[in-house]
Amino acid sequence: MNDKKNTNEILKLADELRWEIGNDFHDALAESIHADAAQIAAVAVSYDDKKPQFDMDRTIDRIVTSPWLGFPIMFLLLAGVFWVTIEGSNIPSGYLASILVDTVHPALKAFADSINTPFWLSGVLIDGAYLAMAWVIAVMLPPMAIFFPIFSLLEDFGYLPRVAFNMDNLYRRVGAHGKQALTMSMGFGCNAAGVVAARIIDSPRERLIAIITNNFSLCNGRWPTQILIATIFIGATAPAHLAGIVSAGAVVGVAVLGIFSSLVVSWFLSRTVLKGEASAFSLELPPYRPPRILQTLYTSLIDRTLFVLWRAIVFAFPAGIVIWLVANIHIGGAAVAEIFIDWTNPFGILIGLNGVILLAYIIAIPANEIVIPTVLMLTVLVSSISGVGGGSGVMFELDSIEATSSILHAGGWTLLTGICLMLFSLLHNPCSTTIYTIYKETGSVKWTLISTFLPIAMGLVVCFTVAQLWYLLA
Amino acid sequence: MELILIAIVIVLLLVILYPKIGSLAARKSMNASNERIYVEDALKHIYDCEYKNINGTVQSIAGNLNISYDRAAKLAERLESLGMIITGDVLRLTAEGRSYALRVIRVHRLWERYLADETSIPEKEWHLNAELKEHDISAIEAEALSVQLGNPVYDPHGDPIPTVNGELPEKNWKPLSSLQSGDVARIVHIEDEPNTVYAQLVAEGLYPGMHVKVIETSSERIKFEANGEEVIIAPLFAGNISIAPLAEFETIPEKYKTLLELKRGQEAEVIGLSKACRGTQRRRLMDLGVVPGSKISNEFISTWGDPIAYKICGATIGLRRKQAKQIFIKPGKTESAKA
Repeated sequence: MNDKKNTNEILKLADELRWEIGNDFHDALAESIHADAAQIAAVAVSYDDKKPQFDMDRTIDRIVTSPWLGFPIMFLLLAGVFWVTIEGSNIPSGYLASILVDTVHPALKAFADSINTPFWLSGVLIDGAYLAMAWVIAVMLPPMAIFFPIFSLLEDFGYLPRVAFNMDNLYRRVGAHGKQALTMSMGFGCNAAGVVAARIIDSPRERLIAIITNNFSLCNGRWPTQILIATIFIGATAPAHLAGIVSAGAVVGVAVLGIFSSLVVSWFLSRTVLKGEASAFSLELPPYRPPRILQTLYTSLIDRTLFVLWRAIVFAFPAGIVIWLVANIHIGGAAVAEIFIDWTNPFGILIGLNGVILLAYIIAIPANEIVIPTVLMLTVLVSSISGVGGGSGVMFELDSIEATSSILHAGGWTLLTGICLMLFSLLHNPCSTTIYTIYKETGSVKWTLISTFLPIAMGLVVCFTVAQLWYLLA
Repeated sequence: MELILIAIVIVLLLVILYPKIGSLAARKSMNASNERIYVEDALKHIYDCEYKNINGTVQSIAGNLNISYDRAAKLAERLESLGMIITGDVLRLTAEGRSYALRVIRVHRLWERYLADETSIPEKEWHLNAELKEHDISAIEAEALSVQLGNPVYDPHGDPIPTVNGELPEKNWKPLSSLQSGDVARIVHIEDEPNTVYAQLVAEGLYPGMHVKVIETSSERIKFEANGEEVIIAPLFAGNISIAPLAEFETIPEKYKTLLELKRGQEAEVIGLSKACRGTQRRRLMDLGVVPGSKISNEFISTWGDPIAYKICGATIGLRRKQAKQIFIKPGKTESAKA
């Protein structure tokens, strides 16, 4: 009994004392620990007093952050990285496609036929699953294997933190972190990798913003779609000698619209749903150092390229099966795909697209790379064009842009379809690889759903508005 | 087309009528919790009156809760039947009522502390947010929250947070308006009601923990220095700011300089971190070595002028202007040759 009374008195005294010392004692503790450490360091560590005549780091820093040279250097470097990626990946991509799609695929088919595999089994496995995986590997691997190592080298050298430092002013205004400039650039390579890269942002609110808005960076898998559609539909509206510039301008316009959307959405998120998340800012600017080339190559290939590629393959496999099945399962004389396309076509027209595009975006969710092959296959299927492609359920691409153009025009595509497809390709749900990565990174169903449905809602609204204005004015 | 319309109607009906989660069910449970909100708000109001030594009446409840006199009278009856208050000309809390009121206040202030430290919700929304939240946090959740926050003893406005047993310290505060010119003191509390006045004071950049030095007082205005910056407010507003005398060891530096005033190439010594820098951000800066006594220098400035790179403890760290403004410094020797 006496003990209990004593305890209570002690607790009461403790409470009173806590009020007296207030909330600041945590600070005081940190300060005293720091002071002790500083004192020990002062005794134990000796410094070289002589300052070097020429401070290399500071000189580089003052050049790359100077008001005149800062941005030109940054744009030149980034443009250079993209140029090397696009130019450098054309050859290996074509090579991989010629092996995996043009050689191995027919060989597998021939083999399956020789051992009398049933039509549906070789269709599901070889025309569906295998072809989808082959496509993803051929289109995805080379640009990623070039882009990520270069990016990692710039990071290792110490330049990328300076980009974040220069860009922070813009991102601060929309409630985000300057490092989002880096995750966004990474997103131009691959959104899944961009989402993983958001780990470099340690403040919870800013990290979520970077993850959710990464999808607005036009990724590797969407550039070819943009370029193809711009060439066929937008370039064609200009005089022949200007066609190239006009279509390139349209693609750049879409990419810039993506950056703009990511800023607007960041601003919106930081002021609404993400208000409740903690936010803190500090940006470490490590000293420059010669990049460790081999180590960087190794980690960027293993951690980023193969990691993302593996996830994409895992998702492409079932999607390939679904793509083949919807084109080959028949209900009442028509393929499931045809029924769905007929059914959704009116809605597609309402937003300037068509049923084929809607279905392609649903079943090609694992990778944006296979959207165009799926669109071509479905267009041939529903408009009964003969003599092109590999049959129903077999994705294909054509070597010449003219041939592709004639198929799309035969499928009823117009300039409006082209414009709306370019917009929708930018503003739609992330691919399933990215969605899964977002879930893994945030551990939250809520943020995953928001990242998935916010862009698609924006895409529907934008396409609807464009289409309705078009119908009104044209 | 008709099919789609029918589907939409069905979905809408489901949303409204679905048991437990539909909006009708939500309305019903809202009414029940509304009653709880009125009871708790009335208790808080009477407690507040007792704390401030003014008379809490049915009339004042009606005014404070923005309800009719009849409604307030019924509420008072209900509180008496619950054994929370003793009615009369002046309403008095019973021991039970006081402990209940203090529990609600504890949740309110803990939640304000949480909003200030762990979220990026702006200052002027804390109070209203906590007004709603105080009614739907259970005692267990409140204790977990308190532990998570490191058992804070003051809310961000400077109000003491009642202990679990409903205890509060004696206060020895005085309003800022009671000071004479030349007096120095420390702001310990800024009243968060009414919200319009609070928003004004926040806009002036005032927060608990600031050192004030009164320059002149008159019946129209009070002019004072807060952390070295001149502020002029009406005496009515000054009444909402409470101050306490400085502790013996506290000395007011002649002039507060902030890190933002440090030019490129200059070095300084950190003397403190503003109280307006809270939570994660405060811990981050202290982790980086922004503590009194450490050396800090302005290294280079970004292309747009914000953020600025500082060298702290040998590491180069980019900080935004807003944060640099919250770090107090004592300028050291200038490294003019290199600047």
